[in-house]
Amino acid sequence: CTFYAFSKILGSLLTIMETPTLLLILTLVLIYILAFAVRLFSVLRFESVIHEFDPYFNYRTTKFLVDNGIYEFYNWFDPMVWYPLGRIVGGTIYPGLMLTSAATYWTLHSLSFTLELRNVCVFLAAWFASNTAVVTYFFGKEVRDRKTGLVAAALIAIVPGYISRSVAGSYDNEGVAIFALILTFYYFVKAVNTGSMFWCFWAVLAYYYMVNAWGGYIFIINLLPVYVLTLLVMGRYTHRLYVAYCTFYVLGTLLCMQVHFVGFQAVQSGEHMAAAAVFFILQAHNAVLFVRDHLEPSSFKRFLRIGLVGMLLLAGVAVMLGILTGYISPWTGRFWTLLDPTYAKLHIPIIASVSEHQPTCWSSFFFDLHCLVFLFPVGMFFCFQKLTDAAVFAVIYGMTSVYFAGVMVRLMLVLAPAMCVMAAIALSTLLTTFFKDLKRRPKGAKAPVEATPLRFYTSAAVVAGLVFLLWFYVIHCTWVTAEAYSSPSIVLNAHGSDGHTILFDDYREAYYWIRKNTPADAKIMSWWDYGYQITAMGNRTVLVDNNTWNNTHIATVGKAMASDEETAYRIMRQLDVDYVLVIFGGLIGYSSDDINKFLWMVRIGGTLDPSIREVDYYSQRNEYRIDNEASKTMLNSMMYKLCYYRYGDVQLEHGKPPGFDRVRGAEIGKKDVRLERVEEAYTTEHWMIRIYKVKPEDNR
Amino acid sequence: PSSHPPLPVFPFGKMRLAFVSSVVRLPNLRLKIPKVERPPAWAVFCVLLFSYMLVTGGIVFDMINEPPSVGTRMEDGKQRPETVMPYRINGQYIIEGLAAGFLFCLGAVGLIALHSVATGQLVLTSQTSEKATVVIMIAAIGVTVVAYNVVMMFLRIKLPGYLQH
Repeated sequence: CTFYAFSKILGSLLTIMETPTLLLILTLVLIYILAFAVRLFSVLRFESVIHEFDPYFNYRTTKFLVDNGIYEFYNWFDPMVWYPLGRIVGGTIYPGLMLTSAATYWTLHSLSFTLELRNVCVFLAAWFASNTAVVTYFFGKEVRDRKTGLVAAALIAIVPGYISRSVAGSYDNEGVAIFALILTFYYFVKAVNTGSMFWCFWAVLAYYYMVNAWGGYIFIINLLPVYVLTLLVMGRYTHRLYVAYCTFYVLGTLLCMQVHFVGFQAVQSGEHMAAAAVFFILQAHNAVLFVRDHLEPSSFKRFLRIGLVGMLLLAGVAVMLGILTGYISPWTGRFWTLLDPTYAKLHIPIIASVSEHQPTCWSSFFFDLHCLVFLFPVGMFFCFQKLTDAAVFAVIYGMTSVYFAGVMVRLMLVLAPAMCVMAAIALSTLLTTFFKDLKRRPKGAKAPVEATPLRFYTSAAVVAGLVFLLWFYVIHCTWVTAEAYSSPSIVLNAHGSDGHTILFDDYREAYYWIRKNTPADAKIMSWWDYGYQITAMGNRTVLVDNNTWNNTHIATVGKAMASDEETAYRIMRQLDVDYVLVIFGGLIGYSSDDINKFLWMVRIGGTLDPSIREVDYYSQRNEYRIDNEASKTMLNSMMYKLCYYRYGDVQLEHGKPPGFDRVRGAEIGKKDVRLERVEEAYTTEHWMIRIYKVKPEDNR
Repeated sequence: PSSHPPLPVFPFGKMRLAFVSSVVRLPNLRLKIPKVERPPAWAVFCVLLFSYMLVTGGIVFDMINEPPSVGTRMEDGKQRPETVMPYRINGQYIIEGLAAGFLFCLGAVGLIALHSVATGQLVLTSQTSEKATVVIMIAAIGVTVVAYNVVMMFLRIKLPGYLQH
């Protein structure tokens, strides 16, 4: 009975939409399965484990939500992080991802599929990537036609730029955010194309989902005003645009404010001001058009002059008042870096130190997008040829995301769908044009003659060339996914001399040791990279974690790591630290260890205490060294001592001296490291994590 | 004698003007608000293509990290110039980046030319236009193939283990 009803509903839905062909449905189903399957490499190679650092925090919050319910989640104050400050988690996260996982978990459990929460979290990103591919089909269909949509869906299913942040196991905001982004853009373009408020409501709902999911919603709320302004300037203003944008701005801002983290920022912060300004400009434009219909040309000119000057004055006064009273806050550092890339390097070392915030090289572009970088300008050219409102949107989205991806590697993710859509426009147009010459006896009055043999073979060569290009694209994407983007980062692997795989599970070993062997109220000091993992897996309080919201606290930890033992001990006693944790990769050659990050600790610590200068940690020849040429300050620093304690006795292989650091490729400078204020608690199997217990004060 | 030049912007100017000009002699500015014409589509496309070339060539990376324009490596005790920074995806030299950006645009232009000729939008005034069409098509295919292969060559220098397990 339910099946009959379902098929009836489906049938009526299909007759409302354009009737899709069987081929189309089959292709979309295959694309759906492909997008999911290609993201499963790390699950098949290792296990169903959550990767990286940020996803562990997301997992912990999802667990809290599932265990305690939504109201507890929204009011959660977490005392286990940022000791002694704590963190108001309810008001400082984007809850979209956690709510999605919890909803999926509860739905599955109500259907008796008792999937463990960890598995739901691991596979959520891959499932949403499949959904993104389908939504990209609709977006491409709206921008151009069905063929473009299908090619776009196929391209985005395997594009490495998107896979890198949505692989199974990567449980991060972007996994659901890109789905929400494309959905918002699809509905908005549909609203502009049809002028109906109905589609605009769906766009607003999708936008609300996006605001819940990711801080990148700022991109949408700034892109749409730019789009509206461009259409105004191009002379393509229509009532459809007016209806679409005004509905979107009003309802979107209202819904945006319902997210705790955003709150009144939606009307106060500088990042949202562009949308408000364009909203007022649209009203003004409409008013001017209305008046023009009712006045003679000469009096209209006078009205226009007075009106323009008056409005500019009013706007200027309002903006000045807003900025002077502090009501309108300026652009925050994170987003200001996008407009002025040199800002973070000079002013905010914490933002500059994150590796995914670095600007992009050409090789990252090509590596993440392969042949799409060639096809993007071609698609833009075809958009210019057949210019519609939707095509203008695609061009603006494409060019702005190219610029932002150039400034920050992480934003390659936002560029990937734009590239896929543009490349799809290019591919489908090219293939359509050149396939015409391959048909015999083409129908229609436009092409009554078959192509000449020369023309036929050239067109066949072009089509074959494009097919080869797509074939190389598939090979490249699969290779990149398998080799570069499927490592869980928490388990490392290397190949032994005879080809067998060695696994380094040191991280989990250390966190499990902490969980089992330290008192429940122990406080762990480590660099902020590992905070989320320590709280999630070790279940202990940490001083600083990846949220990096308090620069002074991080600088204090940096100062402790960079100072000599006595100063560091005083800081650690002040902060009630019980254990210190460092990452050391010298034994196995793991280059993302704390000694390589140490200069950032010095720089950030130096923002708190000017006596910590980076030059003191360089050798005589102004190089960063850890061997016998290292500076005194470096050899006496806490980080050096903690990493190389007892390492001078370790002989790796016969050719090398004892205490040879594989990452820096040098023998360490000071081999007899003595620790007076801390004692070694645990060192993992491959010496990757080293945990030290802080000794209590001496008896006086 | 004081003049009352018609200022085209301020409608209340006449009253203020009378007051000011009774005190000082105003200059005779013959200013006009310039009329900004909409640029043609091909000009906008060229500007966008040029900026695309710069951004994908990693110009922001060059501005922040200031790598050398060409690197050097030691070979047999002599210093040799090195165009492509090897072994890392997240580093480049300036010339290498701009060359790659240029190659991306070259490939795109090849495909655009191919399509324009095939659909008859790029019409040549030649006697045997069919042959000329095919010649341009083959040339455009050649340009695209060369651009793609040179970029792959660059990538293979950067990643020696490319497409190997």
